[in-house]
Parts: sequence; C-alpha cells; structure tokens
Amino acid sequence: MTTVLLLMLLAVGAYLVAVIEDWVYRGHVQLSAPLIAGIALLGRESVVPRKPDRIFFETGPVLLLISAVLAATVIPLTPGLIVTDLATGALFFNAALVYVLVALLMAGWGPDGAYAMIGGWRFLGQLIAYAMLIVMPITAVAMRAESLLTMQIVASQSDIWNILYQPVGFVLFFVAAMALAFLPPFDLPTAKGELAGGVEAEYTGARLAIFRLGRLALVITLAAATVTFYLGGWHGPWLPTWAWIAIKILAVTSIMLLAGRYVPRIRESDLLGWCWKLGIPLALLNIFLVGVLALVFP
Amino acid sequence: MTAQALFIGFFGLAAVWFGIVVFRTHSMVRSALALLFSQTALGAMFLSMQAEFLGVLQIMMMATEMSIMAIFMVMFMMDPGGLGKMDMTHQRRLSLGTGVVAFATAVTIALFVDWGPITSSAPDATQQTVDLGLELLGRSMLIFETAGITILTAMIAATAVAIQPAAGGSRHGR
Amino acid sequence: MIGGARQGAWSRLRRLTAAAMARDLTTFVVPGPDIAGAHGLDIEAAGFRLVASPRHASVLLVIGEIPPALCEAAAVVYAQMMRPRAVLSLGAQTRPPLPSADITVGLSQHELIDGMRRIGAAMAEGAFGHDASVFDAPVLRLRIEYTCPMHPDVVRDEPGQCPKCGMNLVRREVQAGTPHPDGHKDAATEPAHQHQPPSKTERHAAGAYTCPMHPEVVQDGPGQCPKCGMDLEPREPQPAAPHHQQHTGHASAVEYTCPMHPEVVQDGPGQCPKCGMNLEQRESQPAAPHHQPHAGHASAVEYTCPMHPEVAQDGPGQCPKCGMDLEPRESQPAAPHHQQHAGHASAVEYTCPMHPEMVQDGPGQCPKCGMDLEPREPQPAASHHQQHTGHTGHDGHDGHDGMNHGEMGFMSMIEVTKDLPRSRDGLQMEWVDAPFGPYFPGLPSGLVLSLTLDGDTVAAAKARSLAAPTDWTHPLPLTPRAFVEHVTNLNPMSPLAYRLLACRALEQGAHVDVPPKTTRGRIGALERERLFSHLGWLSLFGRQIGLDWLVGRAAALQIDVRDAECTQITASKPAIQSLINRLQSTPLLRSRTKHSGHLAPDDALRGPIARASGVDEDARNTDTGFTELGFVPAIQQTGDNWARLQVRLAEIDRSLALIEAADIIATPETGDIGQATGNGNAVVETPRGPASLQITLQKGQVTEARLETPSTAHLDLIESLIAQQGVGIALTTVCSLDISPWEVQQ
Repeated sequence: MTTVLLLMLLAVGAYLVAVIEDWVYRGHVQLSAPLIAGIALLGRESVVPRKPDRIFFETGPVLLLISAVLAATVIPLTPGLIVTDLATGALFFNAALVYVLVALLMAGWGPDGAYAMIGGWRFLGQLIAYAMLIVMPITAVAMRAESLLTMQIVASQSDIWNILYQPVGFVLFFVAAMALAFLPPFDLPTAKGELAGGVEAEYTGARLAIFRLGRLALVITLAAATVTFYLGGWHGPWLPTWAWIAIKILAVTSIMLLAGRYVPRIRESDLLGWCWKLGIPLALLNIFLVGVLALVFP
Repeated sequence: MTAQALFIGFFGLAAVWFGIVVFRTHSMVRSALALLFSQTALGAMFLSMQAEFLGVLQIMMMATEMSIMAIFMVMFMMDPGGLGKMDMTHQRRLSLGTGVVAFATAVTIALFVDWGPITSSAPDATQQTVDLGLELLGRSMLIFETAGITILTAMIAATAVAIQPAAGGSRHGR
Repeated sequence: MIGGARQGAWSRLRRLTAAAMARDLTTFVVPGPDIAGAHGLDIEAAGFRLVASPRHASVLLVIGEIPPALCEAAAVVYAQMMRPRAVLSLGAQTRPPLPSADITVGLSQHELIDGMRRIGAAMAEGAFGHDASVFDAPVLRLRIEYTCPMHPDVVRDEPGQCPKCGMNLVRREVQAGTPHPDGHKDAATEPAHQHQPPSKTERHAAGAYTCPMHPEVVQDGPGQCPKCGMDLEPREPQPAAPHHQQHTGHASAVEYTCPMHPEVVQDGPGQCPKCGMNLEQRESQPAAPHHQPHAGHASAVEYTCPMHPEVAQDGPGQCPKCGMDLEPRESQPAAPHHQQHAGHASAVEYTCPMHPEMVQDGPGQCPKCGMDLEPREPQPAASHHQQHTGHTGHDGHDGHDGMNHGEMGFMSMIEVTKDLPRSRDGLQMEWVDAPFGPYFPGLPSGLVLSLTLDGDTVAAAKARSLAAPTDWTHPLPLTPRAFVEHVTNLNPMSPLAYRLLACRALEQGAHVDVPPKTTRGRIGALERERLFSHLGWLSLFGRQIGLDWLVGRAAALQIDVRDAECTQITASKPAIQSLINRLQSTPLLRSRTKHSGHLAPDDALRGPIARASGVDEDARNTDTGFTELGFVPAIQQTGDNWARLQVRLAEIDRSLALIEAADIIATPETGDIGQATGNGNAVVETPRGPASLQITLQKGQVTEARLETPSTAHLDLIESLIAQQGVGIALTTVCSLDISPWEVQQ
C-alpha cells in the first residue's frame, strides 16, 4: 500500500518537475503543458534507427526509469512513509543511481549515431567526476547519523539540519546531484549546442516519453535525497510534515532547474579538474570536520 | 527458506547465463555489459543470502567498473560493434571444461555441505552493517588500509606509465 | 490531410493526440534560428517550441528562399522527422526535393503567428490519414557498399574479404547522392559504430623506430623504449612485406593458421572456421611474430631469456637474472625484421642488436655493450627482396600480390592497429567521422563541419559552406539599382552592410559625391547593422554554450534594433548594456572561453577576429566620417574565444555610441549613376570584417564584379584551429569566428 502510494507520489513529483522545467524555459506556468506534450509524443511514430543494437536501444530508457524509481524507494517522505527502510539505505541509493550511467551508455550505444554515442561515453567521464562527490558527502551525513538508515539520517537532523552542520558537504552533494541528473550546466550527454540532443537525439515517440519520464523521476528523486540528507527531511515548524517535505523538494527542484539557465555548459576537462582537485579535498575536509564535530558534540 | 533458496538459485543461474553471453556475443560493448549483469546477479545473490551490505556494494561497484571496461574495449579494440562477427572465445574446450567443473563443484559444495548453525545465527542487516564497520575500523583496519593504498598506488603508477610525454604543448593549450 | 500524415484511421484516441499535437508544435527551423532572427522572426514567441533534433520536431519551418544544396539537406531533415509532420514555409514556395509546403505565408512575425495557427489547425484535422504518402527524394536513396572494419579505405561494391587483413567486409549503407549533406542524416546512416579511422596518413609510412626487444613499441622518431629503456632502432616502412614473404623454398613444413585464432592450424589454405578470415601460411614451428625461425636451417636451438640475451643454454629453464622462462631461439639471435639468410645472402654485415650504428663485416662483440653482433643483410631493406627474386623457389611471392598480410604471424591488437593514425597523446583509439551541420543548433546555419573524432577530441576537421552561391555574379550585367538589390540579398546575416558596399562601389565608379548628411546616415545604418549582427551572434553563441537566458534575450534585442530609428535604439540602449554587463559577470563563461581557440596575429584574420588578436586593423580607421565621430576600434590581445567575445561586446557598445553621435540612420540608396563607365571599388567594415567589392561599369550597367569577404578567409582557419580540441570547445571556437556561410566565396 505504501509502495503504491509512493509510486503515485513519485509520478506526481515527476509531473511537477516537468511543469517547473517548462516554466523555467518559457517563463510562464502552464499546468497542462507536460500532459499535452506527453500525449503528442505518444501519438507520434517511434522508429528504430538503422542498424541499432536493439537490446540496448530498448533497454536504455527503461533502465533509466527503473534506477530512478529504485533509488526513490529508500527516500522517506514522512515518518514511516518509505517503501523500504534498508539497513544500507544510503548505500543502496548510490548503487541504484550508478545504473543511470549504464542506462545512458546503452541509450548512447544502441541507436548507432555518432552524437548519441559520444553523449553516452561523455557521461562515463562525467561519472568519474561526480561519483566521489555523491558518495563522500553521504559518508559524512551517515557519520553524523551513525547509521545508513535514511530514516535515522532524517531523525539525526531534528535539532540542526545538515545544511548548517556540514555546509560544504551540502554544496558538493548538490552540484554532484545536478551532474548526476545531467541537468544544465552539466548536460554534457544531451547537450543541444554540442551534440544536438546527444543520447536523446535518436529516441522518438513512446521511447522518448519513457526516457524523459525517467529523467524527471531522477530529478525528483535527487531533490528528495537532497532534502533527506541535508534539509532535515520532514522537520520544520508550524506546518505539517507532508507540507514541509513537499515545499522543500519543490524548492530544491526549482533551484536545480533554474541554475542551468544562467550558467554556460561546463567544459568536460574543467568538470573533471575541479571535481578532483577541488571537490575531493573539500569532501575529505568535510568528513574530517564532521568527525571532529561528532566527537566534540556527541 | 525455500523462497530464499529459489532466489539464490535464480540469480545464480542468471549470473551463469550472463557469463555465457559474454562469450557468445560478437560486440565488445555487449560483452562488457553482460559481464556487468552477471556481476549484478551475483550481488543479488548476496542480497538473497542476507549479506545486504556486500550485495549492495557489489551491485554498485561493478556498474562503474564494467562501464569503464566497456569504454576501453570500444577505444582500443577493433570492431567494437561486432560487425565482423569476431569470435570471443579462445581455448574453447579447456575453458568450457573448467567452467563446467567449477560450476559443478560450487553447486555440489553448496548443496552437500552441512552449513550447520551459521545461517540461523546470522544477525540482521543493521547489526551486520555495524559489525562490518567495527571490523573494518578495528582489527582489520591495517590490512584494509594497506590494501587500499596499494591498489591506489598501483592505479596511479599504471596511469603514469601509460602516459606518453607530450611532444609539445599541453592538450588544451589552443 | 497534411502532407506528412501518419497512416491510420481516426479514433477517439487519435483525435485526442492530434489535438495535443496541434497545441504542442515542436519545430525545426531551416536554415536556422539565426536566419529567423535576421528576418526579425521570433519563433518561440509565435508559439512554436524549437527543438535541436529533427527527430523531435513535428513542423519543418522553412524561411525564405533556400539555396539548392541546403534544400537537399532540408529534404533529409524532413525525412528524419516523425510522422505526423508538416511543412510551414515563410516567404517562398518550397522547392524539390522538399515536399510542397502544407501552409505558405509571408515573411513577417505577424504572418508567422497566422501560419502557426493554421498549421495547428491542419495538424488537428489531418494528422492521420488512410493514404499517407511515402516521402522519397533522390538524396535519400541508399547505396550498399562493403568495407573492412579495420581498413576503412577498403571499400568494395561486393562482399568479400579485406585484401589487407583478410577480415570479412562489413555491409554499410551510404547516401547515393552527395556524400555528407547533413549531420543528422549521417548520424543515422553511419554504419553501426564503425568508428572509421580515416585513411592512413603518411606519418607512419616511413622511418618508424622500434625496440629490438619489444617490437610492439613503435614511434616516429628515435628514442628509448618505454618498456626496457633500450635505444630504438630504425626499421623499414610498413608494411614490411618483403621481409615476411614466406620462404617456401627452404621451409621444410608449411601450415596454415588463422591470424586471430592461432589454435586453428591446417595443412592447406582456406578460411578459419571460427571467424572466416583467410588462413595464413606459416612455417610449422610456432613462430613468435617477427622472429620466424627458419626451420629448414635451424640446426642448433638454444634457450635464452627475452630480457637478457646474454643468457643462453641448451635446454629450457628460468633466467638466472630475472627468473623469466627462457625462450628457444636459433643459436644466432635473429633481430626483428632482419632475418638472416646466411645460406644465400651475397653480402652479410654484422651489427649489434642494441646499437644499430655498430656495423662491421665479420662477427664479433659490440664495442659498446659487449653483445654478440648479429648478421644481417645490408640496408636498405628494399634490396633485400630484390636479392631473393632470383632464387628458385621464391616465385610464390607474386601470388601474394594484393594479399599482403603484413607481419601478422598472429593478430595482436598492437599489430593490427599500429599503422592506424594516432592522436597526439599517442593512444591508439578508434576514430569516428561525424558531420556537424548544415542545420546544427550550435553552428551558423549552412556551415558544415566534418569532424574526425578521437574519443571526443577533434583529430581532423573540414569546413565548407552549403549556403554560398557557386557564382554570385551570374545575373550580370545589371542596372545599378538591380545590382544593389542583388548584393543586398547576398548575405541575409548583414544585408545593409552589403548594400552600402554596392552603393559605395557604384558611386566611386561613377564619381558621384555623397553629401555629408547621407554619409552620417549610412554610418548610422552600418553601425545598427553591426549591433544587429552581433546580437544575433550572441544568441547563436548562447545556443552553442547552453546559456539559455542569453539565447532569448539577445534574439529579442536583435529584433528590437532591426529597422529601428535612432530614438528606438537609444531606448534599447540600457537593455543592451545590461545584457553586456550580465554577460561579463556570468560564472563559468570565462573558463569556458578563455585559453581556447587561440589565434596568433596573422594576415588571414579579418575584422573582429583580427582585432581580438591585437591587430589594429579596421576599415573605419581611415574613414573620415567615422574618425570625425570619434571612432576608436576595440582591441584585445589574447586572440582566444574570450577575446573575440570581448571585442564584439565592446563593438556593440561603440556602435551604440556611434549611432548616438551620428543621430541619423538612413538605408543606403544609390544615386543616379547615369551612363557612367569606369571601375569602382569600395571597402566596408561589415560586422564580420572588411568586405571589398570591385566593379566595372559600362554605360551605366554593372558588367563585372569581384567580391572579397571576411568569412571566406575565416573558413580556412577552422581546420588547424580546432585540431585536438574537445568537440564542445571546438564548436565554441567555430562559433566564435562568426562565419556567415552565405558570404563565403567559392
């Protein structure tokens, strides 16, 4: 029952992400826009390109959706509202999201197009950059909670949210989450001006709809994870828990989507350089500081 | 118990099947990703054996590793798409024999060894994670740290050796 | 029913989807959003949604007359769109091979909005139909050809084996028409991840150096082996056929084996049962590559260490120095490529395997390292083969013509790939040919870049324009008025600058004086054109680097200043300046553009590109009209993408000031030329640099004309400029050149 409820909430969340995305792009809110675009997409032909790797071509979008949904299963919304409170929740979240990479590689390789293929492999380079910055800040979060249970992680922030307790970790995680969801300015695999859509370029009709749905689910999942790990989950004064979590998730989503509009696409070499030369030392520092804090103020 | 055994068997067979696919396909990328899913199935086996941390870790690590292997295959192997229908096998009889024998041995051991009270006394997943953490940062810390640093050093050294000194100017100097 | 309707009967569901499609008109613009902006059209404001790939578009928006080459590419784009699809044409009827437009309207924003409404209605009513037609055009037809996955230069019409490596040729489809008219199409028809390396370059053709111990180590110049530190030896050019002809005359036993599957061995020739490759002949002793022992004369075999050649013993065992397994060898170690044929070699010299410069007539030790010298036949190697041809038993060589298996005793990856071109980092990688353009979202429309990518680094590039007319002077002779109109329409990216150019050339040829007020009006018009063109470029640049706000903002301002009067431009000034300020403080922009696309000061640079490299060259410098208004050119020194952006931003600022100072904008019109005869020539600093026009007037008619444009010069820069850049930065660099493919002279 909880599972069905959460899946529906995920679908609603994905829809809201699409509305926000449309708002960011066009400048005005139109609640029906994603619905119309979705129906139109389903009405169009969906062709398989010439000489595809058919298995990969079909699996890619589905795997993207699956990995986003699996990652969402360990994110708690309100006390008790979680699909499965795994003992290794924070780790499982990472494990599920690594398959975003596999999905994009498949989607890039499958259709037999140069742009798509370059886009797919680019994302592998991107993973090498951001992966550590997802895992290491989560490590610090788990250190404070003394648990990998996501429920426990939220509970540990009842007094002071992690965004204040470990701001460096928050910034790193936020940026890395945007890179994971290949949102602009990290949209290297789907870059419009560089690869004319890249990984997405050869998908059409229903397959494109699944791919986009997977992407939206990924964005909302990552926003929810940011809230869980750093913004105190459902905690907050005055309002009920469900309102707080909804507000927080939508706010984080909006910031994630808006940020890319005002920043040019990052250079791959810069991304790798900054992540490794700056991000990882900062993440280590963050772990160290959190360790000291946890020892001093137990 | 039976459900657990069924799951273990299912994922075990899936791992073997993907392992076979590795050699039956002509495409390097398919081969690499088949290996990935074989390893993922292994991770799922760990999960069904209630070794949660180990299973999740296996599932997570292998995705990155096998993807990196795939890109190396694409970069450096001829015909990565398998258009030339290249055969992936070598010493076919020997490897088939070894595989079958190893599989049979593993299954035999799994079925016929009396595992005794180990399974029933295993703690729950949360406790396992706690125990694992204490083990890693307690008595085994030195071993793991040494191994970790050694692997890291080896990787850096391998990369450094592989880089040819640039003939002139850096790569993005222009 | 629309022309590109989807096959199928109407149902309630389909009515719903058709209604949705009518409200969600995704569009792909031909020639491109930059041309739309130049015509003052705001496509998104009209209600369309611009998409980057034709696969995601439902409406093909054709703007104005399109040159034939671009029209063909547009047909390919149309073929890639998913049905239901429609064509909306603005300002002109579409020409074959494009299908006729579903709706044709005039070329204005007002008509565009009207067209959008009508095409929506057509979509809602005609998205599905029973007799949906199949779109076909000559450019879409495919030809089947066969190519080798390893040797892309091998292309045959029939299936078979590669003459170079014997692999089965792979079928691929290519366009029957022009080779690469369009990026998207090619991306789709590219054979399944062929990653074709381009044909062999000359680099490895001669003078390669190799390690005597590690034959897989090959490099261009002398040096040390990265594996063992030995000095590299020069070796003969690839493929070393003469050395590796099988010497059937003396081989006591010959067998056939597969280059890929060494375990496949049989007595006669044939194909490998595993991979179908032609089997290669070899002597029956399992020969390591390059070290083919000649069983016929190998009388004594000893065992030696691969690392320590001085270790030699009669039986197998381990090396006492390094513990490696000893390898068998003939008692004289055979250096790679230098097989001794002591029995029949007329002249043999002795050399040290470590120090090839040590050569003497008889055996002995090397004075440098003390190793035993080994016999070899003298260099050059070509004569080697000559010497053998006379011998009986070698006639079989001729049979190998065209089936040169190189040195592949067995096929190792290193062996197979060693002749393939290598990028600067020395890593051997598969190369991909990817065309970008002519309708690529991040490039000026009409420009085609054919990139050879090494990973996502550009290994080689070729740029050409599909928009340029082959001969723009063909309608000559023309009356002055018609000539001015003709020149104006040459380049839709900056028509007024070209108009001014034509007027000035005519006036100079006819010796007509221009009143100062007209000159000032023309300065205003030229600077407004620069403003307009630079804003359009900013919008394209924003599209390329993924800066969304800039795309929309710059395009809106471009439309504002188009055909604007002085007062309107003054009104837009704060908005334009705030755009510049905002751009200056945009995070990451500097790191994306700085230190890339560096151009040293050079004669080939024109206009803003030259000024970004520190060349103080501007046709306006010598124009008294400009100097009186206080014109100073904008100069930057570094010559990279950032400097070019800065120069254009500064020029926008200066153009605003000049327009204010001139205080008048007048479209250039030619005066009465009368029946003048003479030569005129003029130079105008267009937004892309100085364009010069020379004309010949005869009795009031323009009979000859010659045009030089900045984009022609800049197009040739691309090839060397973007080599070794990542594809993203390479496209940014090309974009920063602001080439107008329409003005390229062919």
